[in-house]
Amino acid sequence: MSDIRVIGVAPVRRRRRRLPIGVAIALGVLALAVLAAAFGKLIFPDAMHQDILASTLPPGSPGHPLGTDELGRDILQMAVAGTASALVGPVIVAIGSMLLGVVMGTLAGYERGWLDTLISRWTDLLLAVPVLLAAIVVSGVMGGGYWVTVALLIVLFSPSDIRIVRAGVLEQSARPYIEAAQMLSLSRWRVMFRHILPNVTSLVVTNMMLNVAFALVAFSSLSFLGVGVAPGTADWGRQLTDGRAIMFQNPAAVFVPALLIVAVAVCVNLVGDWIGQRLSQVGEEVR
Amino acid sequence: MTVLLSALTVLGPSGTMVEPIDAEIAPGATLALIGESGSGKTLTAKSIVGLLPRGFRATGAVSVAGQDLPVTRAGDDAAWRRARGRSVSLLLQDPFTSLTPVHRCGDQIAWTIEAAQGRRLTRGARRKAVEERLAEVNLPARVADAFPHELSGGMRQRVAIAAALASDPQLLIADEPTTALDASNQAEILDLLRRIQLERRLSVILISHDLGVVRGRTDQVLVMRDGKVVERGATAAVLAAPEHPYTRALIEADPVVAARTGARIAEESADGSAEVEALLVCERVTKAFGARTVLDAVDLSIAPGAIVGIVGESGSGKSTLARCIAGLEREDAGSIVLGGAALAAGRASRTPGQMQIVFQDPYSSLNPMMSIGAILAEALGVAGREASEVPTMLEMVGLPAEFARKRPAELSGGQRQRVAIARALAPEPRLLICDESVSALDVSVQADILALLARLRDELGIAILFISHDLAVVRMIADTVTVMWDGRVVEAGPCHEVLEHPAHEYTRLLVAAAMRENAVPADGKD
Amino acid sequence: MSIADTRARASRLRPLGRMVAVRVLGVLGVLFVLSILVFAMMYLAPGDIVKNLLGNRPTNPDVIAAVREQYRLDDPVVIQYLSWLKGFVTGDLGMSIRLQQPVADAIGDRVGITLALCLLAFVVAVISAVPLGVRSAVKAGGWVDRTGNAMSILGLSAPTFAVGLLLLYVFAYYLPIFPVYGGGDGGVDTLRHLVLPAVTLALGLGAIIVKLTRTAMLRELESDYVTFARSRGLGERLVRRIALRNAAIPIVTGASLVLTFLVGGTVLAETTYALPGLGTLLQDSVLFKDIAVVQSLTLLVAVVIAAIALIADLTYILLDPRVRRQMGAAS
Repeated sequence: MSDIRVIGVAPVRRRRRRLPIGVAIALGVLALAVLAAAFGKLIFPDAMHQDILASTLPPGSPGHPLGTDELGRDILQMAVAGTASALVGPVIVAIGSMLLGVVMGTLAGYERGWLDTLISRWTDLLLAVPVLLAAIVVSGVMGGGYWVTVALLIVLFSPSDIRIVRAGVLEQSARPYIEAAQMLSLSRWRVMFRHILPNVTSLVVTNMMLNVAFALVAFSSLSFLGVGVAPGTADWGRQLTDGRAIMFQNPAAVFVPALLIVAVAVCVNLVGDWIGQRLSQVGEEVR
Repeated sequence: MTVLLSALTVLGPSGTMVEPIDAEIAPGATLALIGESGSGKTLTAKSIVGLLPRGFRATGAVSVAGQDLPVTRAGDDAAWRRARGRSVSLLLQDPFTSLTPVHRCGDQIAWTIEAAQGRRLTRGARRKAVEERLAEVNLPARVADAFPHELSGGMRQRVAIAAALASDPQLLIADEPTTALDASNQAEILDLLRRIQLERRLSVILISHDLGVVRGRTDQVLVMRDGKVVERGATAAVLAAPEHPYTRALIEADPVVAARTGARIAEESADGSAEVEALLVCERVTKAFGARTVLDAVDLSIAPGAIVGIVGESGSGKSTLARCIAGLEREDAGSIVLGGAALAAGRASRTPGQMQIVFQDPYSSLNPMMSIGAILAEALGVAGREASEVPTMLEMVGLPAEFARKRPAELSGGQRQRVAIARALAPEPRLLICDESVSALDVSVQADILALLARLRDELGIAILFISHDLAVVRMIADTVTVMWDGRVVEAGPCHEVLEHPAHEYTRLLVAAAMRENAVPADGKD
Repeated sequence: MSIADTRARASRLRPLGRMVAVRVLGVLGVLFVLSILVFAMMYLAPGDIVKNLLGNRPTNPDVIAAVREQYRLDDPVVIQYLSWLKGFVTGDLGMSIRLQQPVADAIGDRVGITLALCLLAFVVAVISAVPLGVRSAVKAGGWVDRTGNAMSILGLSAPTFAVGLLLLYVFAYYLPIFPVYGGGDGGVDTLRHLVLPAVTLALGLGAIIVKLTRTAMLRELESDYVTFARSRGLGERLVRRIALRNAAIPIVTGASLVLTFLVGGTVLAETTYALPGLGTLLQDSVLFKDIAVVQSLTLLVAVVIAAIALIADLTYILLDPRVRRQMGAAS
């Protein structure tokens, strides 16, 4: 009975279970973005239609609330239609590198030995090259469009995922509950995926969300440098790059897609941090 | 020069954490605060130096030599600036973490001196002052140039004492100052504190969970429980004739008291006569980590149904031996034979039904993401038993069946350790290894777990290898004891014999520590 | 716990000389593999290799022969690689087909402005971000912390070029305080041209450093030695200095993150402001498929990053007496 008392007295850190206002707004923005990504091209099928007569109209022009670019394309329509291209790639990159990270990081961290050495050298190698540099050089020299860039970014993003998962797995592996699992002679797969992995989930999910934001920024940066997304595609990064030439005539051509990129990245970051906090509380110890 | 606590109260986010405390400490006197975890003793200490955690505040008053401390303004560093150091200092439990690892010990002492004097000293004066302070705690001058990690735990705690006292405070609060130290260092540090205190006529508040620390070294004692003082009085009187049932229970559960009275939790089984064949025999087990030999040809034998204790300090190799037996560590040489069959090194050659371990830390030995029921069902499963036996297992370790739905975070330390024991018993092992399994628990909980282990031995006939740094605890439960030191077995035999007639010098030291007698005054020999 | 402790310490306790040697060898190994990959680039590029190396230049047999000679295309691949690597090591980087000048000269002409930009951005970022991170940690949850946190999320989320274009629009077009494009005529003029690009770059860098500093400081400020220091009456400024000294170790370890960002960010910032630096050289060369320049720049950046990472590692050793002591023990 003296056991039970300890918990009653332990300082209970009260956490608000309510959704913080910032996170609620971020979730709202992301929901809108997902809707736009799903239906944007259906709503504005002619977004990329060029109209020389409407060249470089300023914001507030009739029929074009945000104006047009030099090819007469409507800024607002392009922004909505470009959502899909801007979001799909980064999400796939984040999921792909997360999967690579979980499998390779868990193997490296739990099995140790030569496998760990091999995987660690591989991550060392990739980390020695900045992501953006490698992406510019490889997709620039080799050519290749959107999906090559996606594949490239998965590979380039994976080393940090592998490292993070590996470090988390290493930390968990040293804990007695893992040794207790070993005392039960459980199979290594069961130990890795039933015992260790759930305890690094918050790490993995948080990192994945951060990667969505990073990949979004990376994609648009590549577009800006003229690599990755083909000209004429509806895409925020591409739109921004094309709009640069007329920045002083119609700032909306640049700042609308820029704002969208920043807004989505910020929201993903906010939601990611929040999910990470929530997940890490599930198994947190009341000490 | 007296220290007065008047209605000192600590309020937390969910109400009163420590109910009003009144006390008076004369110069040169020591007040002991005794209590288990959650009793509020550490919060009380922190409130007196204004370092309560965020969300906590104190009311009431504390005066040191007629000066009031701004206890109601916790966290207001400007208000506390003059009081901390000059009126009151706080000595923390763990010397490994209370000194900054990247600064030299001399600097850490000098900071206190300069803060108290409110000015920077010249190089020479600084050096001289630091050396004086080191000399006071029996450390050579060269320690000033050392980084904390270059010192032993005992030396580090002495540096911390010198740093805490370098501002010449009138009140020192020592929060579990020896709990993190090895048994042989504990008495030394306590005696050093006592000596300095008498020389300086320093008032001390000594906080401890350990009655042995308090006995003979403190004048007054407050026994705390759940944030309330349940008993108070002169230390000797309270310990000799406790009035409150909680104090009585604490004293009864205290292994040191038991060591003195000879009380045991487990019946001593008919001494390990060689008629029955031993369950486990280790011969010349040797293991090295790099260049360091951790196990040096260790022999050990456990009879079926026996409780065998291993005692030793950190680094003695006792845990490594247990881990070699369990297959979690691979021995370099030697043989381990269980039930007549030799076991190859490593986990692969072992089955869950041979042996199981209960680890030290109840907070990390259960998977935080699994429910108690799932944890036990998994352990039952490896032995081919049904998940429907989970309630039986819980009942066996004294927990209600509805605990199956809880997660580890909802349980107290003692409850978690019970679950860990149930998990270990699920595959019906022949040998249960308890590696410091009760060391992290409160004294009263400790006694409960020991009683549980003794009962399980009697009911299941299981053999137990019980490992602890504390001879007093081992003595309460083990039939035979093996004393390890520096990777070797220095002494082994029936428990009472080893305790009453220790042959080896190191064992004598351990016995003295177990009785909390003043150890050899081995100053400066760390 | 103490057993595990000593074991961990024992395994860490290897001679420092060996540690450094292992690190250096590891870095050399990584660079070796990278150099092969970079070399292979000209084979990976789709299309005929000679055509790729010639780029968009009009071809005639003489030019083709010159290229085959320069890259030793008639020799086995291993020889090609070795001669290319030897060229790189000795500073003979070949000819740029786009600029019609030696690659070494092209790089030499532009390296100054890039270095100035990086250095300026780095200094601005460190000077503003470290104190902000410390303050955020000290008053966690306060308004400085919340503002700092918001800014660092924004800094990490906003692509460098987007920030660049915004600053350009506001401070060069709307309020014409700074020049719009170009690298200036040297001296103060160049510095004026570098202000906006450096601020742009510093914003992203600063975001990372604020985060690193805040996390590290928060952990240190919760440690026992801080409680102990405060309880002895040490001033808050001294306590923070002590904590920061301890936090320096994880902050320096995070330097690789900063470095990676800096490289990508420089390319973007230079492109945004049309600065004639290495970033624009790389971008133009990539688009023109000027392979010799791309290869040289890529490997050069890898070498620089490896060198800085190595320095960061060695600094880490200097900062942590626990590691430093092993050096003494080994020698």
